[in-house]
Amino acid sequence: MIELIASGLVLASMYGLVAVGISLTWSSVGMLNLAQGFVFTAGGYVAFLFAQYMAKNFSIRDGVLLSLGVVLLGMIGSAIAGLVVGGLAFLPLHDRLNFPVRGLIATLAISIIGTQIFMLIFGPQSKPLPQIFGIKRFRIGEFSIAYGQVGTIVVATVVLLVVTLWMRRSRRGLQMRAMMMNPLGANMVGVSVRTTGMIALAISGALAGLASVLLGQIFFVSPTSGVQPLIVGLIISLAGGLGSMPGTVLAAVLLGFAEAVTARYTQQSFVPFVQFALVIAILTFRPRGLGGVLEDVRE
Amino acid sequence: MSNSTVGRRRLIPRWPVRTNSLFHRIRVPGTKRSLLRFEGRYNPKTLQRELILKDKKPLFWMIGLFALAAIPIAVGQQLVFSIFASICFFAAINVLWTLIIGTAGLQSFASLATVGVGAYAATYLSITYGVPWPVMLVIGTLFGALMGFIISIPARKLDGLYYALLTIGISEFCRSYITQSKALGGQFNGALFGADRIVPEEAMQTQSGQTISYLISFLVLLISLAIFRLVSGGRIGILLRTAQASKEDESFAAAIGIDFQRARMFVFLIASAALGFVGAFYATNQGGASLSLFSLNQMLLLLAMIVIGGLGKAEGAVVGTVIVVFLNQWFTSWGPWRIVLVGVLMLASVLYTRNGLFGLRQQLIEIRERRKALSRATRTTRYGAFLPEQGPEISDKGIIVEREFERAIRDQLREWITPEIIEEHRVSPLGQHSDHLERILNYFRKQPISNKYVVYCESAFQAYRVVALSGIPGVPPRLVDDKTYSNLDEAYHAVFLRRINDLKSQH
Repeated sequence: MIELIASGLVLASMYGLVAVGISLTWSSVGMLNLAQGFVFTAGGYVAFLFAQYMAKNFSIRDGVLLSLGVVLLGMIGSAIAGLVVGGLAFLPLHDRLNFPVRGLIATLAISIIGTQIFMLIFGPQSKPLPQIFGIKRFRIGEFSIAYGQVGTIVVATVVLLVVTLWMRRSRRGLQMRAMMMNPLGANMVGVSVRTTGMIALAISGALAGLASVLLGQIFFVSPTSGVQPLIVGLIISLAGGLGSMPGTVLAAVLLGFAEAVTARYTQQSFVPFVQFALVIAILTFRPRGLGGVLEDVRE
Repeated sequence: MSNSTVGRRRLIPRWPVRTNSLFHRIRVPGTKRSLLRFEGRYNPKTLQRELILKDKKPLFWMIGLFALAAIPIAVGQQLVFSIFASICFFAAINVLWTLIIGTAGLQSFASLATVGVGAYAATYLSITYGVPWPVMLVIGTLFGALMGFIISIPARKLDGLYYALLTIGISEFCRSYITQSKALGGQFNGALFGADRIVPEEAMQTQSGQTISYLISFLVLLISLAIFRLVSGGRIGILLRTAQASKEDESFAAAIGIDFQRARMFVFLIASAALGFVGAFYATNQGGASLSLFSLNQMLLLLAMIVIGGLGKAEGAVVGTVIVVFLNQWFTSWGPWRIVLVGVLMLASVLYTRNGLFGLRQQLIEIRERRKALSRATRTTRYGAFLPEQGPEISDKGIIVEREFERAIRDQLREWITPEIIEEHRVSPLGQHSDHLERILNYFRKQPISNKYVVYCESAFQAYRVVALSGIPGVPPRLVDDKTYSNLDEAYHAVFLRRINDLKSQH
């Protein structure tokens, strides 16, 4: 039972990190970022390069410092990739005609280019990341939980909480929420659409980078490793209501547990069916997602 | 062709008309459409009757399609055949997808999945029950329509990006189903082979077999183009365009009596059935179906084709397909760089063009018009004269022209004012004058009445003064100075001097 809860929460925290990033971008920038998979992979590769460098030059293969460095550099790498996406798709297009569709296509193009460039640089093989939480396991009675699972859940929860608090309390968070509600009005009272949008892209990039490093523990980093998280993240942010943080987290928990339960009691191959059935059910009853009221405000 | 040429219009081909023979329009049998739309008119310069081709698109279509059909047959290599066959296949899908995205306005990303469903259904039934290929085509069409119906259910509730995401999800769903299914994808890594073929496998090795197979692919492209033309150019296309021309599609459409949802669902179903047909054709041509029909990357490549060519246009879909497929399959030695190039093309077309390659012409025309208007608005001189008032705020160009004319006259008169002229006027203010003085006086006479200097008689033959009229009824004239003149001629000359003074100071 505890194992089930643990694996459900691990999945939920990974999905949550990616989906919150997508949701944040959509709500504040007004652009569906389909290059989030590229951003995700970029963080993984930066962390991999760092780990490789440390292993080669200082022969450091594990330890707290390396783990911290891997996580931080993964987040920074993805944040920079997010800024690149913003510079290519958001800044030149955001005041043009038909921005949502054109932004979507531009981010798709970036994702195509990015995947191929990773393929050129790193080759199609998967690259391993160091185990940042070690490989030991907790024992609670007859059940055992890996350190990695606990670490993932804790880190993801803390980071998501920090981001939520930051959105609630800080000046920038206020600006971002203002932009979610009414971009034009926010612009009129002096919120810079460009600066705020780029910050939102960087933050959602950093979240994706964290998810990438955490997921890199289980699945290695490869040029196309961003596709699956992107699709699941998109579906979760859709089910959670694009733009709503609580809704997205709730949807992530629901889908993560659905996956964990399905994988445990039936077989892994049924997971997509259950997930899609769940999402379609949610969207049938709440067409704007679980927490979604935003669309009406925005349009 | 006549030789009358003015400006850019010299490039328009003209046909002379014999005045005593009637012009017969050639119509498509059974319809009122004509293949080429000519407009008869009189040439404004030569005053001859002539014909102008109003719409050159059909000509370009015919040339392009002929080239598409003829090039691989002329070259006759297997590689060229396969490239052009996939151009036809993808172009057919893209044209139908354009119908869904552009005409119906549904952002569905499941078109390739619809093709896949048609292909897999036809292949499976052909393998299991030995169905021949004509029946396979029917089965594919039916399954395409069924798939379209299933996808269209959520489209009633969701719109825009939500629907786009859901359809991406549906195609992933189909892919994972086929990967898992033992009957469909169990054999060769998701692929299913062994369906009945139109051109038998052994005949595919020969030149004639390849030619026939290619021509059938080309025929499928023609069929999808015809469907596009009939649906998009027909009544239902007009209804949908009318509805989409307004911002609030549905309420506006409902207000003028268009059932928007029904119309777009109808278009969606037709396009889906046609996509299923294309899928079944793929199965009969390739002898089966493979999992690449459902892959997200293939879908993205298709989207790149449509975006590069121009969203919502059949010609854009076809030309974009030609560009991308050619890049992708001819330059295979470039490795991943060719996909990077496709991505860069896609990004460039989104960043720099409003609607891909075929929106470029309209965009260039608009840029040129804007530049022209801007330079006209910021121009401050004309024929060497400074025109501060000539700006975009004067809508009546006649006013500008009149002001320029007045200014030119003033400039001329100012040159003519010399001490001799003034002396001439002082000697005899009335009567016959020299030509220049006469013209100056005429100019003064036709000036408007407000602030015009006139002579005021205080007491006859004794005291005259210069006053200025107010120009407003009921408001008396005002005295301009305290000088009095003892006779009328002096007063006339004083008025003249004042007017000259004003003319000199006026710009």
